[in-house]
Amino acid sequence: MTTRVALLRYPGTWSERDFAHAFSLVPDVETEILWHEDATDLSRFDAAIVPGGFSYGDYLRAGAIAKLSPATKALRRFAEDGRPVLGSCNGFQILCEAGLLPGALLRNASLEYRCEWIHVRVEREDTPWTRGLAGEVLRMPIGHGEGCFVADADTLAEIESEGRVVFRYVDAKGAATLEANPNGAMANIAGVCNPAGNVVGLMPHPERCAEELLGGTDGYRVLANVTRMLVGTGPALYRGKD
Amino acid sequence: MRFTATFHVRPKAEVRDPQGEAVSSALRSLGVEVASVRTGKEIVVTFDAANTHKADEAMRMMGNELLANPVIEEFSVDLKEAVSA
Repeated sequence: MTTRVALLRYPGTWSERDFAHAFSLVPDVETEILWHEDATDLSRFDAAIVPGGFSYGDYLRAGAIAKLSPATKALRRFAEDGRPVLGSCNGFQILCEAGLLPGALLRNASLEYRCEWIHVRVEREDTPWTRGLAGEVLRMPIGHGEGCFVADADTLAEIESEGRVVFRYVDAKGAATLEANPNGAMANIAGVCNPAGNVVGLMPHPERCAEELLGGTDGYRVLANVTRMLVGTGPALYRGKD
Repeated sequence: MRFTATFHVRPKAEVRDPQGEAVSSALRSLGVEVASVRTGKEIVVTFDAANTHKADEAMRMMGNELLANPVIEEFSVDLKEAVSA
């Protein structure tokens, strides 16, 4: 059974083809890149991805203008239906701006654009994207200037108590230290989910680490979960391209 | 009626403003004893509305729904009837 994944492309999105390539390594997955004005109905898809980039040139605030696009309206319905959604980097920013995820992403505390490999610990397993990964430390690349997750004290307490932090920046040994936090995010938060758990956003780029050639395959382990959604099982480990 | 709404958007007091911190340190390098700097933006919107009440409603909606993100920002706005040319 083929799993169909929608990749949303806004003006300025740049990671959709990387996602298409990464998913091409996963057996029985088909992807389709959808221009945001045409993505008014996502019902034929099993999952939707909001890739990274600089939608609308980051004008006003990163993700702010994309939240009013037809694709985001369709995405909201898709998410409310409980379908799996993953937003990475600018996609995470869009999901926060759209109110599909809590909090906001501010300019990195260092003011630097950070482009490097980091580690995150999977804090929650019962999301469509993190099954089989509980407690695992994943190595993934980041590339962002505005990834400092913030939320007001009540919201932060709520998402922590409800277990809605999905990924946390840690060192290679799994400790959430100050040094392991690349952008000043509150509580080392690298990714969160909505109350239902079907919408997940993260700053790192799983699509950029889905094959050995690119220096790591931990992103594959996240993305390959897409095939478990329908059939209950799927390739948990990277198998490589036949 | 034509109106001009001038929005001043700034990070909430409790939200760190790294841009302001960088400007602050640059101003100190100019030799000015700067205590702190907070940055924001000004957005000027010219629009038509039936009356002042409607203009006020539209202005709040623009601020709350798009121009400021209530999670991290606050805004004030100055609404004026535009002087016709």
